[in-house]
Amino acid sequence: MTGSRKFLFGLAGAFGVPWLLLVIIPVIKAQKLTPEAYDKDRDGIEGVYPSTSIDRQGQLVYISEGCAQCHTQMIRPSFVGILDGWKKGWGSDQSDQPKHAVRPSKWEDYMGEPVAPLGIQRNGPDLANYGYRAPKERAAIHLKLYAPRASKTNAWSMMPSYRHLYKVKAIEGNGSSHALEFPEDMAKELKPKKGFEVVPTPAAEQLVDYLLSLKKDAPVPGEVVAEDAK
Amino acid sequence: MATTDSSISNSDSLRRAAIDRSVKGPVLFLFANAAMWLLASTVMGLIASIKLVSPDFLNYDWLWFLNYSRLQPAHMAALVYGWAMQAGLGVAVWLLARRSGQALSGGAGTMLVAGIFWNVGVTLGVIGILSGAGTALQWLEFPSFVWPVLLIPYLVIAVNMIVHYNRANRQQGFHLTSWYLLAALLCFPWIFLTGNLVLNCFAAATPIGAIGAGVNAWYVSATIMLFFAPLGLGVCYYFIPKITGQPVYSYQLAQIGFWGLIILGGWSGFQKYMGGPVPSWTAAVGGMATILLLVPAGIVALNHHLTTSGKHSLIETSPTLRFIFVGSASFLVTSGIAALISNFWTGTNFQFTYAEYGYHLAAVYAFFSMTMFGAIYYITPRLAGCEWLSARLIRNHFWFSVYGITALVACMVIGGLAQGQSQNNPDNWNQPFIGSVINARGYLVGRALAWAFILWSNFWFFTHLVFMVLGLGRRSVAPTLLVHDHHDERPAAVPAPTHPPASATA
Repeated sequence: MTGSRKFLFGLAGAFGVPWLLLVIIPVIKAQKLTPEAYDKDRDGIEGVYPSTSIDRQGQLVYISEGCAQCHTQMIRPSFVGILDGWKKGWGSDQSDQPKHAVRPSKWEDYMGEPVAPLGIQRNGPDLANYGYRAPKERAAIHLKLYAPRASKTNAWSMMPSYRHLYKVKAIEGNGSSHALEFPEDMAKELKPKKGFEVVPTPAAEQLVDYLLSLKKDAPVPGEVVAEDAK
Repeated sequence: MATTDSSISNSDSLRRAAIDRSVKGPVLFLFANAAMWLLASTVMGLIASIKLVSPDFLNYDWLWFLNYSRLQPAHMAALVYGWAMQAGLGVAVWLLARRSGQALSGGAGTMLVAGIFWNVGVTLGVIGILSGAGTALQWLEFPSFVWPVLLIPYLVIAVNMIVHYNRANRQQGFHLTSWYLLAALLCFPWIFLTGNLVLNCFAAATPIGAIGAGVNAWYVSATIMLFFAPLGLGVCYYFIPKITGQPVYSYQLAQIGFWGLIILGGWSGFQKYMGGPVPSWTAAVGGMATILLLVPAGIVALNHHLTTSGKHSLIETSPTLRFIFVGSASFLVTSGIAALISNFWTGTNFQFTYAEYGYHLAAVYAFFSMTMFGAIYYITPRLAGCEWLSARLIRNHFWFSVYGITALVACMVIGGLAQGQSQNNPDNWNQPFIGSVINARGYLVGRALAWAFILWSNFWFFTHLVFMVLGLGRRSVAPTLLVHDHHDERPAAVPAPTHPPASATA
């Protein structure tokens, strides 16, 4: 019957073209990406781009906890009212008034990640370059994960607590060197009982490793000069 | 065109009864389980929404798996796969059987077993997400081993029905409803297989990075545009002429609307990451397709409206038409929201905000679920052999659903704008994230309240449906229409009222 054949061909064509162009070809192209070496004369630096890689073990924790529900990892270009690039601390320049906008993310930045967790919503800050702005001490990151509203300055935060990545155990001897330290103004019920301490599990350590490895604004070969001229 | 109930001959009604009997088992099973998942998803959605306002709600050590970041994907997955797709499959089975004009010669038992496995898949998936085995891929959050458990039952049901329809319907040519249904049934396995093979299998072996996120967004969009949209619109095209007794207003408009949707649907999706690390043309094409989709959406809405024209009073009495009318109108609203959040002019403040959640709920709930409710109110009495117990329960379900979902979508779109504008406001360059959290908080309270409304409506829907499936409905030849509060004393054999009864607007 011609009617049904026309229908099937029409359907296959109408859906097949975008399927091929949007999914199959870009996917094949994406997996063929290879790191590119910087040109010392042109770029002024040596090495390869992308120069950083993420901690995959920690990314698995990030995925299983569903962090991407609220955190994006993608800097948008600074135009038509988008200011991602100028946000304080969203790039390697941590000063109050960054001299240059952080460059927008490119797909090469996510090379080697099976599926980049670009994020579903931005209920919390973008994490594309969190590695630069992370607190110096790991314990501070652990504290944020353990008790996001630990002090009065971040009582407004709506981040869930990831307490299940930490163990509360009795203090033995001088206590663990990894044990979390709690601020003075933290609510009493959030602190462990006397004689107990909170230590991160390996999963929590991996998650922090991953967060620290998020540095997605390495200079792009051939674009460094143009960026400085702005 | 669709036959009308007014011209039933005896042999026709016997044939219909035989068709209904032949699909009774699988269809009622799918409906009952879908309603159960809807209730579960609503509860999870309510808890997740409260947690956004008050993160310490239910924040006990032993409830560690109820973090928003796990509950939200579990809630959406239960809504999409547990409720919407399952109800959609049940409606598709019944509709294709009716459209074929022949009772199924066999395969009902196989479809029932497939339905059981579908539910096993969804259960494994939801438990998997909550226990931390989720993949964090939007709408594909189920642990990566679950998708074959969903795909095979789906194929068993869909192939069974397509083969049956094709065998029985050789001479009649295509019907509008059947076009839409077949398009949905044929597209989804293609989309689902692509999404899972690329993101769960292929990407694990050869990393695809940022494109993976784009493909994920495409999967979500394609599922909405090429599964939920055609299935829901097909249901509208079946029931509106059936209940109003008028033929579809324009067959030509319907064809344009159909092909417009099918041709444009597959192009959208990548605009979720516009300005991001996906090739910029993919996002541009996605945004353009989403805006162009307003054309087929408008055409379909116009056609539905003109088909109902003159018979709008039936919306007061027929539960089915009521839900379908709202669903059909919501498709236009859904397309409008999609266009709003998908382009660079208006979308910059909507990107990555609650507005996307509002869009998904408009598509899956305000549009698709409403058409499914309508269909279920029509189909179940014919399969269960009894009538709905109470018009009041149906009315309760209708109004709480409509108010709930309207408030929910409005809160999420406007709240998303508040959230996004605060993030993009130059005054907040050097501020921590507090602004957007505080700005959106009021709308999140609205979101939680709306879910509470919907929970109330769905609890009664589930209870009502379970009574029906168990055959404990009203024994009557007259259908339950929304005319009287106390239909038991006065069976509803009255003609449609000319003006709206006071009780219907309560």
